[in-house]
Amino acid sequence: MPTINWNDRELEYDSSRFVKGTGHFVDDIKIQGMLFMTVLRSPYARARIISLKGGISSKDLGAKIASVGEGASEGEASSVEPIFASGFVNYVGQPVAAVFAEDRYKSEDLLDSVEVDYEPLKPVVTIDEALSSPPIHKGMKSNILSEAVKGQDFSDPSSPIVLEDTLENNRISTNPIEPRGLVASFEGGVLNVWASTQAVHSVKNGLAETLGLSKDKVRVMQADTGGAFGSKGGIYPEYAIASFASMKYGKPVKWIETRREHLTSTNPGRGVRGKMKIFSEKNGKITGMKGEIMVDAGAYGSGSGGFSVPFIESMMTGAYAIEKAFVTGKALLTNKVPQGPYRGAGRPEASFFIERMLDLLADEMKMDPADVRLLNMSDKPFNSPLGMKIDAARPFFETAVRELEYRREAKLAKGVGLSFFVLVPGTYTGESARMIVKDGKIGVWLGGNSHGQGHETFIRKLINEELDVSKELVTVYRGDTSVTKDGEGAWGSRSAILIGAAIVAICKKLRTEVEKEFGSYSSESLLSRDHDEYVFDEKPFSLTSFGANLATVEIGRFGNVRVKKCNAYYDVGRALNREMVLGQIHGGMAQGIGQTLHEGLFYSEDGQLITSSISDAGVPLAEDLPNFGVKIAENRSSLPHGAKGLGEAPTIGVPTALIRAVEKASGKRLRKTPVMPEDLIA
Amino acid sequence: MRIVKIRTRVNGKDIQSEVEPRELLVHFLRENLGLTGVHIGCDTSNCGACTVLVDGKAVKSCTMLAVQVDGREVTTIEGISKNDELHPLQKAFLEKHGLQCGYCTSGMILTSYWLLKNNKNPTEEEIRKNLSGNLCRCTGYQSIIESVKYGAQLMMKEKEKEEQQIEVR
Repeated sequence: MPTINWNDRELEYDSSRFVKGTGHFVDDIKIQGMLFMTVLRSPYARARIISLKGGISSKDLGAKIASVGEGASEGEASSVEPIFASGFVNYVGQPVAAVFAEDRYKSEDLLDSVEVDYEPLKPVVTIDEALSSPPIHKGMKSNILSEAVKGQDFSDPSSPIVLEDTLENNRISTNPIEPRGLVASFEGGVLNVWASTQAVHSVKNGLAETLGLSKDKVRVMQADTGGAFGSKGGIYPEYAIASFASMKYGKPVKWIETRREHLTSTNPGRGVRGKMKIFSEKNGKITGMKGEIMVDAGAYGSGSGGFSVPFIESMMTGAYAIEKAFVTGKALLTNKVPQGPYRGAGRPEASFFIERMLDLLADEMKMDPADVRLLNMSDKPFNSPLGMKIDAARPFFETAVRELEYRREAKLAKGVGLSFFVLVPGTYTGESARMIVKDGKIGVWLGGNSHGQGHETFIRKLINEELDVSKELVTVYRGDTSVTKDGEGAWGSRSAILIGAAIVAICKKLRTEVEKEFGSYSSESLLSRDHDEYVFDEKPFSLTSFGANLATVEIGRFGNVRVKKCNAYYDVGRALNREMVLGQIHGGMAQGIGQTLHEGLFYSEDGQLITSSISDAGVPLAEDLPNFGVKIAENRSSLPHGAKGLGEAPTIGVPTALIRAVEKASGKRLRKTPVMPEDLIA
Repeated sequence: MRIVKIRTRVNGKDIQSEVEPRELLVHFLRENLGLTGVHIGCDTSNCGACTVLVDGKAVKSCTMLAVQVDGREVTTIEGISKNDELHPLQKAFLEKHGLQCGYCTSGMILTSYWLLKNNKNPTEEEIRKNLSGNLCRCTGYQSIIESVKYGAQLMMKEKEKEEQQIEVR
């Protein structure tokens, strides 16, 4: 490996390093002669660039960004994001030019050397403005990026109860504590990139496609990655700029995002509105649902706006056996940073829409929300009219109500909320793994890259179970595209399922090989020879799981909500490592509380981002949160290792339980996250 | 740009260095001294990933200039273990899984270190309040709180042991 002095041991996943301060994050890379890149960004939501002088800009690199990674979809040509703004800027924070110097201070100083004249234009900021305004991009007929329909349309039945409401999840910044960053170094005809990422292959494919390089001339390696939550799954303009500059200057180039840049220019999640209509019998049984969703896709189709629409639609009957459903949806272009996946990526939105309607129905019927839910569940597997396959919901929910002691809680306090959901993991296209047995040890590389979830712990456990090799002999290395031929990424609650399956598949292959050669299997025989196995486990399967949450709150006189209890009962399949499972759930619950009560990105009428710090963006503090109560059900999946999805469960289930608790405590119907104190006392 | 000479003591070592007056302490520690356990997470002193001890007190090194530590003593995460033996708080964070991605960890440990200096056996509420200048996006803080509680126990045990050894002598 050129230019970097990390040794083999330093490429392992090893969390013990972090308590000593000896991790290897991308900003820790220091290479002789390295340049530091700073990006000049648009100060306007929409403007024409009259003139531009200085730095590297669209005249040097006119390419558009390849759409890769989680939820990537090809947009119409005119809505694909250029690497550098060209002719027009379309969101605050859009890259316009880049400058380079030997350190970050000098590099920032150089920003003054770039001169840009803009002619500000009236921006399209909201979903409603997007619907009523002329297109923001030339060559398009409207601001509709994409449209999708799910289910069969039906004429409104003459139901005794018809309820309608409009519900919304505001945009949220993903805010991993380590911002985005990369180091690019072009040497010997190969572009080497170290990145903070969930998916080395997406970054590789994206850079190759964007810069017109052949895929075997790009190598992407994962640095220790300080959180991601969806935002580090693909490539961004800065990655292409830094790579281009390393080729142009013949020097390594480092780019590290500031938090302010993260807020303006990293794809945020959510930003979805749903108009819901449900039809119910007199007893509270829902017979039909109609929905219309609007996704605020931001300025370009390079995010996940287009993908979001059909994905959200498919989950909009939730865990309920609703026989008739029809949903239409649009992703709309606005002058804001493109939308992307954030932990849950469509699942929380879909669940928010249907769960808020179930609570509304309970209030209308003067029934307990748990009973309305029970009434609308099946005790058999159910194929929804929107295309989702779920297991029998009722037995799980009945247990959940007991385990969460909901009935007791509901008697004790006013502000109590209960939610139920189905988690659909993103198993699409599977995942790769490679195992090399050499010198009596096993090395493992993955196509989807851990960034704090602790993949190494369950991999060691599975290898120990399958091959009887002790955990100390197994090393799991960070992602490197030169080692795995292909791969997807760590997102969508998929890793324990897919990486687990890939590891088990390799282990079975190795066992057979050893048996063939030695007559019978033993770990000594395995470790006595060199082996090298790669699989890309492509089994397409649907592996949904259920979960329920309970929340209780108190509201202070200024509308400040105190979360008293936030509890979960989730089916995680076989828990491969209990501590890691609890860690994932606790972290996700904090984000669920964040979305409901604290977090959001807010824009002014002229498209300026008003949210100016990580504190403004509402990332919860230790003192904002309660002690979480988590119970897990371990209903094994059909996979050999029994795992199910997990990571996104809490961001689906917590907001819906919590907003109901706040609704009950305040007596006000709540339709939007985040719920602000002023919503509760006005 | 004017250059200023500073003398400081970092992790027990005397340092003489030349810095620009505008250089932040966090960049001085990371870039000039190679102490990359100090991290940068925000521009606004909210996240605490850059926490270090200056004269024993937890400060955010992104909000201090390098010139301000002239004549003072700085301790970073790299400096709290003794002869390769992990500090009890480091052991506690490992054992109680007080981290996931590891980016906030050094700041969390140093803020906790300072807290336990002043309050040997804090309540959960005190820990939460004291850690509210340090953001973690992965753990939901629960395992961090457990780690600090456990670290406090380990430190008290260590202290008892030391005292017993002194009596025996």
